[in-house]
Amino acid sequence: MSTERRVPWIIKYRPKRIEEVVNQEEAKMKFVSWLRKWPNVQKRAALLYGPPGCGKTSLVEAAANEFGYELIEMNASDFRRKTDIERIAKRAATTSSLFGSAKKIILLDEVDGISGREDSGGLEAILQLIKISPSPIVMTANDPWDQSLKPLRDASEMIKFDRLKKQDVVRVLRRICEAEGLMCEEEALEYIAERSEGDLRSAINDLQAVGEGYGKVTLSLVKALVRPRDREHDPFETLKNLFSAKYAWQAKMALSQSQLDYDQLRLWLLDNIALQYTDPEDRARAYEALSRADIYMGRIIKTGDWDLLAYAIDMMTAGVAMAAKNNPKDKYRWVKYTFPQRLTLLARTKEVRAIRDDLARILASHLHISTSLAKSEIIPLLHVVFMTNPEYAAKLAVGLGLSEKMIEFLAGPEKTTVLKYYREFKEAIQRQALQQAISTQQVAKPEKEKPKPSTKTSKKVKSETKSSLLSYLKK
Amino acid sequence: MSSEKFAELLWAEKYRPKSLKEIVNQEEIVRRLMKFVEEKNMPHLLFAGPPGTGKTTTALALAHDLYGEEWRKYVLELNASDERGIAVIRTKVKEFARSKLPGDVPFKIVLLDEADNMTADAQQALRRLMEMYVETTRFILIANYPSKIIEPIQSRCAVFRFTPLKKEDVIARLKWICEQENVECYQDALEVIYEISGGDMRKAINILQAAAALGSVTVAHVYKVVGLAHPREIREIVHLALAGKFIEARDKLRNLMVNYGLSGTDILKQMHREIFSADLRIPEDVRVELADYIGEIQFRIVEGADDEIQLTALLAKMALLGKKIGYTA
Repeated sequence: MSTERRVPWIIKYRPKRIEEVVNQEEAKMKFVSWLRKWPNVQKRAALLYGPPGCGKTSLVEAAANEFGYELIEMNASDFRRKTDIERIAKRAATTSSLFGSAKKIILLDEVDGISGREDSGGLEAILQLIKISPSPIVMTANDPWDQSLKPLRDASEMIKFDRLKKQDVVRVLRRICEAEGLMCEEEALEYIAERSEGDLRSAINDLQAVGEGYGKVTLSLVKALVRPRDREHDPFETLKNLFSAKYAWQAKMALSQSQLDYDQLRLWLLDNIALQYTDPEDRARAYEALSRADIYMGRIIKTGDWDLLAYAIDMMTAGVAMAAKNNPKDKYRWVKYTFPQRLTLLARTKEVRAIRDDLARILASHLHISTSLAKSEIIPLLHVVFMTNPEYAAKLAVGLGLSEKMIEFLAGPEKTTVLKYYREFKEAIQRQALQQAISTQQVAKPEKEKPKPSTKTSKKVKSETKSSLLSYLKK
Repeated sequence: MSSEKFAELLWAEKYRPKSLKEIVNQEEIVRRLMKFVEEKNMPHLLFAGPPGTGKTTTALALAHDLYGEEWRKYVLELNASDERGIAVIRTKVKEFARSKLPGDVPFKIVLLDEADNMTADAQQALRRLMEMYVETTRFILIANYPSKIIEPIQSRCAVFRFTPLKKEDVIARLKWICEQENVECYQDALEVIYEISGGDMRKAINILQAAAALGSVTVAHVYKVVGLAHPREIREIVHLALAGKFIEARDKLRNLMVNYGLSGTDILKQMHREIFSADLRIPEDVRVELADYIGEIQFRIVEGADDEIQLTALLAKMALLGKKIGYTA
């Protein structure tokens, strides 16, 4: 089978020229004339809005392609701080294109995503970017009418996209069927188009799911597979559809119709396979499939060979769905699925992990070892020392130059005791240094002839001496 | 200095030999290296041998003897498993090579630890680096497995093979440290430390120090320290998985990875030890089968993208195997 078939069709059949963008004649005219005049325009940004899958992004891409702009795509969620904006604007202004063209379009997809966000910083950042950007800014949105987006609307040329008509969608689907050499029933295409509610992207995805999975597109197949999408399926529906899939292509479609991408799906499966399947052998089979998928992912990362993605997806969808051989009834069990616990755990332990990593770096540099060895070999031993001998632990903390947070991490329940000693020792060292400095002065020795420091700690003492001496003199 | 009353270092650092003269074992290696110091010239070096046999110590001591107390200025220390790819290494080496040369020695040293953790491609790039800066820098590569270093690098280096330390050498060193520290220690305890550390001097000294922190180095203290430090979690995970308590085993595993920061490979190695322990009552042929699973998963971790997925798949297999043999905890 040719490798092209594994490219998502929405990418493979993306319009390359403006005329290939289906319908939307008014929007095309308005956008093209705005773009050609830029920067001599009233509004320095354009906001393309309309229902999903009606060609907003496609038009921008096609126009960029046709007029030789380089497209710089940004996710609206990248906009949080002012520095981000400056960085992006700078990049837009200075990066020379690979293809030598100096013209650029900055594309911000789905800006309505930021309206619901609590921080309004993102919005201000975009407005700022519009003001300073040396290149045209083009934004897309499904629903630009949120109150909070008013400043953005005011700053932008508003370009409306209409929902595609059923016959427009059918025409595109038919063309793809011909190009792919697929046997397609006209009624099947109509059915897909009807259900897509004018969303060409989802219609093409449906067509690919059926066509690739089954080799032909008939009305009966489509009826069994394509359900009205009142949006993409949330993770819970996705898991239900995947596990309960009777055929391999159904399992594959569960992913293609999901909000989850394959990366997220992996994590959701990691937690939920064990909840769905109860038989040990079924579980082992399902996790084996997930493990195989993960190996393909690893090879993709290593080799950059994205052709392998198809196999990874096969394994994690169909492979998992077909694993329930001993207890096939498990497939249809109602299960309260869980959010990937790793993500929750990582979010909750972020601070502690940062402390641990810093600690590992300190130990690694003292002992000339790798940080992973510090974590697996040294930190566990230090835990023991810190929990069993607080006084000695405090000395180690002083000697190694650990922070109080690190001490808390190592000492756990004993942290108050260790910290008490630690502060005492630090004070004592300071006091000692101060006394030494005073006595040195009293004997009127020149400062250079201080006793030669013998250890790292005493070096620290030396600098502390200076500062404490200063504050002493100020008194 | 009296501040030592309030500050302490890790003994593995405190008692690390500073000069080649202080290194007692590995006499042949030391003799040849001293020759380099004398001539103030040396080729690239490859130090190979098991962990804790003095490779890093010897390299640092060599640098110390070459450059004197200021040696740190003329040595760039890199650990291949901590650096993010050969590109970073290249940048650091490039920058380092530009810095000033020491007065009387015509080269500086790049010390690259765990070099055998680099991929073959990265090693090829490393080889070019070694050639590019050979005028002003010498590389000392440190590796556990010399066979994992590509042939062209090996042929450009003088290879030094570090042999495992003798039991009496390790124990004598531990005893000597206890004397310096005024810590009571018992011969049988030191022998236990040697066994546990498998001849790895650094590991032995670390265990010694932790045991000493409990008051004295006795057999009981050594076991206590090692028991606490190497959490029973891994043993429990194996038990739970074999007993079919898959979800509990999986939760513990995740906790170990996230909260302890253990890598998949760390965990697999400990599991491997665990399945051969007498405490685990399973038929002998099952131990072999488990070892094979674990080995397969370690291989996959190298190939794969996500440690936890691979280890979870292993737990699922263990649960299946546990069911077949009717394992109960």
